[in-house]
Amino acid sequence: MPGALAVDGTEDVPPAVRCRGVEKAFGAGAARTSALRGVDLDVRRGELLLLVGPSGSGKTTLLSIIAAILEPDTGTCEVLGQDLAGMNERARALFRRWAIGFVFQSFNLLPALTAEENVALPLLIGGKPRGGALARARDALDQVGLGGRSSALPPELSGGQQQRVAIARALVHDPKLVLCDEPTSSLDHASGLTVMELVRNVVRTGERAVVVVTHDPRIFSFGDRIVRMNDGVIVGAGEPDVTGEGH
Amino acid sequence: MIRVALTMLAGDRAKYTGLVLGIAFTSFLVTFAMSYFCGFMTWGFALVSENPGADIWVMDPAVESAEQTINLPASVLGRVRSVEGVLHAEPLALGMAEARFPNGQFQSFQVIGVDDVTLAGAPRLGAGDASVALRLPYAAIVDAGGTEGKLETPSEAVDLWPLGAPHLQVPVRDLEAGDDLLVNDHRVQIAGHSAALPRFPPRPLLYMTLSNADRVLAPEHHRVTFILATVTAGASPDEVAARIEDRTGLRARSAADFKADNVKWFIVNSEDVGDIGAMLALAGLVGFGVTGVMLYMFTTEHLTQYALLKAMGATSRQILGMVLAQAAACAGIGTGLGLGACAVAGSLAGQAGYPFRMMWIAPVLGGLMVMLVSVVAALISARPALGLAPGVVFSGR
Repeated sequence: MPGALAVDGTEDVPPAVRCRGVEKAFGAGAARTSALRGVDLDVRRGELLLLVGPSGSGKTTLLSIIAAILEPDTGTCEVLGQDLAGMNERARALFRRWAIGFVFQSFNLLPALTAEENVALPLLIGGKPRGGALARARDALDQVGLGGRSSALPPELSGGQQQRVAIARALVHDPKLVLCDEPTSSLDHASGLTVMELVRNVVRTGERAVVVVTHDPRIFSFGDRIVRMNDGVIVGAGEPDVTGEGH
Repeated sequence: MIRVALTMLAGDRAKYTGLVLGIAFTSFLVTFAMSYFCGFMTWGFALVSENPGADIWVMDPAVESAEQTINLPASVLGRVRSVEGVLHAEPLALGMAEARFPNGQFQSFQVIGVDDVTLAGAPRLGAGDASVALRLPYAAIVDAGGTEGKLETPSEAVDLWPLGAPHLQVPVRDLEAGDDLLVNDHRVQIAGHSAALPRFPPRPLLYMTLSNADRVLAPEHHRVTFILATVTAGASPDEVAARIEDRTGLRARSAADFKADNVKWFIVNSEDVGDIGAMLALAGLVGFGVTGVMLYMFTTEHLTQYALLKAMGATSRQILGMVLAQAAACAGIGTGLGLGACAVAGSLAGQAGYPFRMMWIAPVLGGLMVMLVSVVAALISARPALGLAPGVVFSGR
């Protein structure tokens, strides 16, 4: 079974993500397309896992299922000890709210909000008082080296700075799982490395897990493990030098 | 999150301005149209308003307003006066007449015949005029009644009562005390101008004593149209009116009820009311269109942002709350601007002699209509955001 390549059953501590036999298809009838075809995947706490593969290989679908945004057609996915099967839309939203941090390719900052307001969004969505949320957001911006730009609007920041704001936003509510979708593909090489160093730091405490979907071979060396997908299945997994795709 | 929603709204200044102006326009149109309607209706019961001493109006049982009347036998006056609770009662006559000006031009007038003795029903007079002048034979007090340019008489002596053809296109001036009119071949002399309330529909008025009116109007078996009754101190007009109806078989309405009757009659019978209703509907539709389209555009152009919020854990309820908050903010500001503009425009309209009366109901209903329009528009525009899959924020989507 190809998915078995990404399973790590050697640990006593339950993994941050445990997916088994995950299948997902879109469309119906003749237009039905299988995006995932029996994926097994474990992501350990304290691990930075890179999910790589060509376009259409199922990376984003798998990320969406781990993020409790999509439901698998078959199979199970347990995230941070929580079985996502059978959760309704509201329960999924509440789960994402406290458990997961997101970093996106195109930053997805709200242009009308300042950097600190953008960073505070996960706390505000969770109902935290504005004053306290903004104070924590400023601390998070300090940690990504943007303490002096907390009042800046996104259009006033460079791409690298915007992605650092997005990382601060992904961490401000202290999630145990951070999902990054092509975090460096909109950035130049130097900014990409800076961003990945920040992402790398996220797992340093050993409590958090990070999954990064990427096409960018320049950042493969930042991963603890690289999982390669193709045509809806996992076709390879291992440390960067094992896959031969490190830089 | 409400503050986030409002910041998002204010961040898109072009659409924010468009939304606020669209709602302000709706609020202005609805409130102005309603105030204009209230102004017309106020003019519609001007006859009742300018007789504040009449607590009760007594009329034929079939009469529903001061616009469509049939006269009563003179004997009913005594019967009304005999009802317990009536302090005094006076007759009032209404009639229509074509009056000819000295150059041959003619004009329709409403003739209002007031009690010869008490002059109850006579209007407030212009400076220097005295209502006792009405008691002179064939005397009349004239009023424009909301019209303009209808009370003009030739200014040159050569154009007065010409032999042969009328002198129609000649220099004219406003009617003054001492001028003459010909009503049903009776010479009527103007005794002064009144400052009566404007009428709806506008019409020139001739106030005369009942006996003078009886002389100049076309002969009718009955002349009295209304009995204006004043109740004794402490008596309830409604109770006394009910007693009058019981004892006389006539229709008796307190002044307040008769004003309401007039409004109802206009709503049912006047084509102008339909026009104003169409104006209100148009205002609502335009407002709904502008507000709905702008809000829909705002929401759909920010779908990615809503998807992001959903991905980060915002519930559908929070998203709906954000869209409603945006709509409510625009509705509040737009309504305020619209009402302010309406008050200014109404003040100018009032000064220019147009029937504008902003009663409390106009801004309240205008505000409610705007709120309804905004909420419906918000709910419609929130649908794409609520149905949005948060996965669209990922690069592969």
